[in-house]
Amino acid sequence: MKMSHYGTYWVSFFKGVILVLLILALTGCSIGGEKKIKIFSVEKPREKLNYEMPTPLQMEEIKWIIITSENADEVFKRLEDAGIDPVLFGITDKDYQVLARNFAQIRQKLQETNNLLEEYKKYYEDSGNTQ
Amino acid sequence: MIFAVLLITGIAGAGMYVMKLRADNATLKANQIKLETAVAEQTKVLEQQKKDFTAIMESNKKLNALINTFKKDLDDLDKRFTKKKRDIGKLALERTSSVERVINSGSKNAARCIELASGAEHTEEELKATLKSEINPECPALANPNYVHHE
Repeated sequence: MKMSHYGTYWVSFFKGVILVLLILALTGCSIGGEKKIKIFSVEKPREKLNYEMPTPLQMEEIKWIIITSENADEVFKRLEDAGIDPVLFGITDKDYQVLARNFAQIRQKLQETNNLLEEYKKYYEDSGNTQ
Repeated sequence: MIFAVLLITGIAGAGMYVMKLRADNATLKANQIKLETAVAEQTKVLEQQKKDFTAIMESNKKLNALINTFKKDLDDLDKRFTKKKRDIGKLALERTSSVERVINSGSKNAARCIELASGAEHTEEELKATLKSEINPECPALANPNYVHHE
């Protein structure tokens, strides 16, 4: 049977369609594919907390006066002569020891806190532990 | 005709398969590089952890030593008041002016200790002090780092 010109054309067209469909079936539509998303991660170190160390204290001098029953008049007179109100805020010898001890403990706490602060600073800033 | 179609399809399929294999190979290579990088990073992290641990131990040691000096300083302070059954009140009655002088000097030294504890710089004299007569007896460990205490 002889095919017409149009018949041959359509057969060729269908062959082409079948071929394309076969290729698509084999490749699973992977020709071209989807574009891959590239994700970049850039490590940015944490900003440093650059506080300056606290300003050291400057203590003012105080003068202790020892007053006994024997020298009381002399002490008060001396104060009056110097233009100072003749009044004293007193503590006993035992309380003086307690005051000295309390003072020492406050100083130690201050030193401990300052040292801790320095150690933290050293650890997090010198060794690169910025997080 | 069918044979020709199958042949072309087969060749195309084989071509695609080779391309897939190449892509897989590239992925595997990339994975290998990533794994090697991860191993290198892990080694780096371990090294850093080791360094951190040493730094923490060192810091702990330093702070413990400091706390021990605190205890000693307080004990020394108590001793100054009570050594050989000393009674500071009685002493003040007997030698008022000399005790007053000692207390004022002690108060000045204690104030200097506070300044140093708050971060003040040491003076040349404080740094050079190696004798008992030169030190600040209120806080020798803090004020005179070069002074070695002998029991």
